Amino acid sequence: MTHGAATVDLMRAPYPAERGLDVYNHKLGMWVFLASEVMFFSALIGSYVILRFGAPGEWAKPGIVLNIPITAFNTFLLICSSVSMVKAYAAIADGDQRGLKLWLGLTILGGAAFVGIQVFEYLHLVERGFTPAGIREGSELAELVAKGTLPAATSGLYGSTFFTMTGFHGFHVTCGVVSMAYLYFTKVLPGKYSQHDYRGIETVGLYWHFVDLVWIILFTIVYLV
Amino acid sequence: MTSVAATARVPHAHHDDRSFIRKYIFSTDHKIIGIQFLFVSLFFLLLGGVLAMQMRWQLAFPGQPMPGGGILPDTMAPGGVILPEYYIQLVTMHGTFMVFFAIMPLLVGVYANFLIPLKIGTHDMAFPRINMASFWLALAAGLVMFASLFVPDGAARAGWTMYVPLSARHDYSGASIGQELWSVSIILLGLSSILGSLNYITTVINNRAPGMTWFRLPLSVWSLFITAILGLLALPVLSGAAIMLLFDQVLNTHFFDTTSGGQALLWQHLFWFFGHPEVYILILPAMGMVSDIIANGSRKPIFGYQSMVFAIVAIGFLGWIVWGHHMFVSGMNPTLGSSFMVSTLIIAVPSAVKVFNWMGTMWRGNLQFHVPMLNAVAFVAMFVIGGLSGIYMAATPVDMFIHDTYFIVAHLHYVLFGGSLFALFGAITYWYPKMFGRMMSEPWGKVHFWLTFVFYNCTFFPMHILGMAGAMRRIYDPTQYDFLKPMQPMNVFITVSAYLLFATQLIFFVNFWWSLFKGKKADLNPWHDNGLEWTLPSPAPHGNWETVPTVYRGPYEFSSPQVAEDYLPQTRKLPTDREPASAPVAGH
Amino acid sequence: METAHKRPNYILIWVYLALLTAAELGLAFRLPISPNLKLALLLFLAVWKALLVALFFMHLKFERWNLRIMAIIPLPLALIFMFAAMSEHVW
Repeated sequence: MTHGAATVDLMRAPYPAERGLDVYNHKLGMWVFLASEVMFFSALIGSYVILRFGAPGEWAKPGIVLNIPITAFNTFLLICSSVSMVKAYAAIADGDQRGLKLWLGLTILGGAAFVGIQVFEYLHLVERGFTPAGIREGSELAELVAKGTLPAATSGLYGSTFFTMTGFHGFHVTCGVVSMAYLYFTKVLPGKYSQHDYRGIETVGLYWHFVDLVWIILFTIVYLV
Repeated sequence: MTSVAATARVPHAHHDDRSFIRKYIFSTDHKIIGIQFLFVSLFFLLLGGVLAMQMRWQLAFPGQPMPGGGILPDTMAPGGVILPEYYIQLVTMHGTFMVFFAIMPLLVGVYANFLIPLKIGTHDMAFPRINMASFWLALAAGLVMFASLFVPDGAARAGWTMYVPLSARHDYSGASIGQELWSVSIILLGLSSILGSLNYITTVINNRAPGMTWFRLPLSVWSLFITAILGLLALPVLSGAAIMLLFDQVLNTHFFDTTSGGQALLWQHLFWFFGHPEVYILILPAMGMVSDIIANGSRKPIFGYQSMVFAIVAIGFLGWIVWGHHMFVSGMNPTLGSSFMVSTLIIAVPSAVKVFNWMGTMWRGNLQFHVPMLNAVAFVAMFVIGGLSGIYMAATPVDMFIHDTYFIVAHLHYVLFGGSLFALFGAITYWYPKMFGRMMSEPWGKVHFWLTFVFYNCTFFPMHILGMAGAMRRIYDPTQYDFLKPMQPMNVFITVSAYLLFATQLIFFVNFWWSLFKGKKADLNPWHDNGLEWTLPSPAPHGNWETVPTVYRGPYEFSSPQVAEDYLPQTRKLPTDREPASAPVAGH
Repeated sequence: METAHKRPNYILIWVYLALLTAAELGLAFRLPISPNLKLALLLFLAVWKALLVALFFMHLKFERWNLRIMAIIPLPLALIFMFAAMSEHVW
């Protein structure tokens, strides 16, 4: 690296004062950003745990308000898109442009489908009477509250925490889909990535896996517990 | 930055043909962004001061019409008499503007941006465009907060700490949009801070010049680095909390609504979990810059460089587990409270280490009391006072009596004004030549320093006494309580001192602006310092260096026996120096 | 640049993730066990899945130790915060 050669390894850290973490700037920047995202989701999810732990009554049983089968499928879909993302990364690491286009395209579609299904889920929930402010008067779920199947004391909290956590997660997924689509059309299709420089793919891949990881936790503690 | 094509994009000092807009408005140059933060933050500092002046009028002369109060609308001050609703807005917005839009951006937005690439030896930040976004987001946040002063029903008014339910319920506070704009502004600011932090962290880890090992970094860079980590991890929590507050305000959610199962104390936990690292964000960069200035003014290496580094890291680490000391009287779990007392007492230790090391640096040094040095030494003294009052507050049984009194106000102003702001006066003067190519006036700097020092102590020291006597914070009229009536002359004394203090700052502002145009032109290294930035012209050119320098030693080699001068720059190669293990990648 | 390593079998990881998800669903609805045990097991499964994604898809297993530490640092902070605030309800 010290001779005046024209080619430089972009996938390495720039002029190192010492070996350090051995990652190039984009990747390091993304990991640092993900650390902040962990704190952000910890604030939201942590608050949910604290509120639920200290709640003045029983929490709703799983499956009564939320649709587990659809969300389980959605979870599986997001996991699949994570796999296709890493396959895209592996493809370009081998220099396989076709593979990159195929797998990244599938990832974008999977992510978009996830968001679509979640929007559909939200609309359905609101229609049944589940809102961030709690259970709507006179709705289908309000009858369950009256019957006692759904605890009244915590239903407001349930709505508040559910929509905030999954909403921000969905927002992050959307940002991921948009970013990947942007890269897809401006750099992947024109073939600007190569075996020697696929930093954008690795960086956006890290973000995408993180979003999947958060969902793995969310799905368990929001839907199944 | 490391490809052949990218090398062509590396800005060169002599080929700067960017348009005016790209050069000075929408600039990605870290130095310009730092200067932009400086101008905007100085405005908010002034605004915060103006709000405080009004507060001080009401405290000294409750119910009396304020001079100039006639321009305020009747909803705030009919006939110039400040209303309680307006008073509490003043309190809230003074704190908000000072913490979030003055001190934090002055220390981090200005100096992390300006100094880091210069001091570690690189052309710019790792992500220049994200850097630019960070500034514009911060400006947007500031404008939203400023706008909240002028909306119907007025600004937020639950104190800068925004405790629920006062902040969440319009029917309790009387404010509507203003309260919501506070939340929105903070969310934007959080994002700005996070983007900035990730830039600073990545740049310091990855972009140091060859030979610039971790233990050759100046303490200003170390402190800015740890501060960036604190900001990266703490601001998202504040953003999350502000989002939940905004949702409670606007969407009728119930996070903090105890009538629907929410928890009011949850807000306090969230806020202070952010809030305590935040106060270390507000002091660490100041400590780092003071270290640089004191070593320079003493013409001696910093005493105990490694322990200074460990102290910074220890403060950053311990700062996460002390937040409950802001909540001792909240009704929190007492056992938890005790653990916070212990951790808070422990965190005094690394700060004390730093104080002793500053004194050790100055001991038997060839002291040059230039303006930055005066301010830096004042920092140490004032910070000690602020830290000592902190020990009182750390002890829970004592805090039971002094929480929410003027004792706390005294403490926070000793560390924030006596500490951070004096450090800033020193830092602004010190790095002014590198920013603007001119020197600030030294005589007027000294006049400003001494007057500020006297009036500042006259303003804030009596507050310790007021607080011990039981004077509460944030109250509109102290004379409503019989036991406080005898203390009223002290309030008048404080107010008069505060007005003189505020007037004195005019000297600084005039010095700052006048010197931009008429100040003495500065050469490369007016302070005879060792840092990398002093090897560049004043002001530093776009792109900093054509070729990244090589570093051979640490930054505090003053009065070294190896050379005749009393300073030895980091980049100067002596015959006995070896090249570092790594060399720059081709093209740099 | 990662240390040279054999590329993990991503499809195999995917199978593990699918199986763990199925196990979670079965656990949540079928097994008649106490709620606390169910919670513990569900959390365990979720963490296992998260680790698989982090270590293999995000390549943390093959990065340097200091990057792994950096990735992990927020977690103890989040846990400290949560447990401290939860302790409000147990005194």
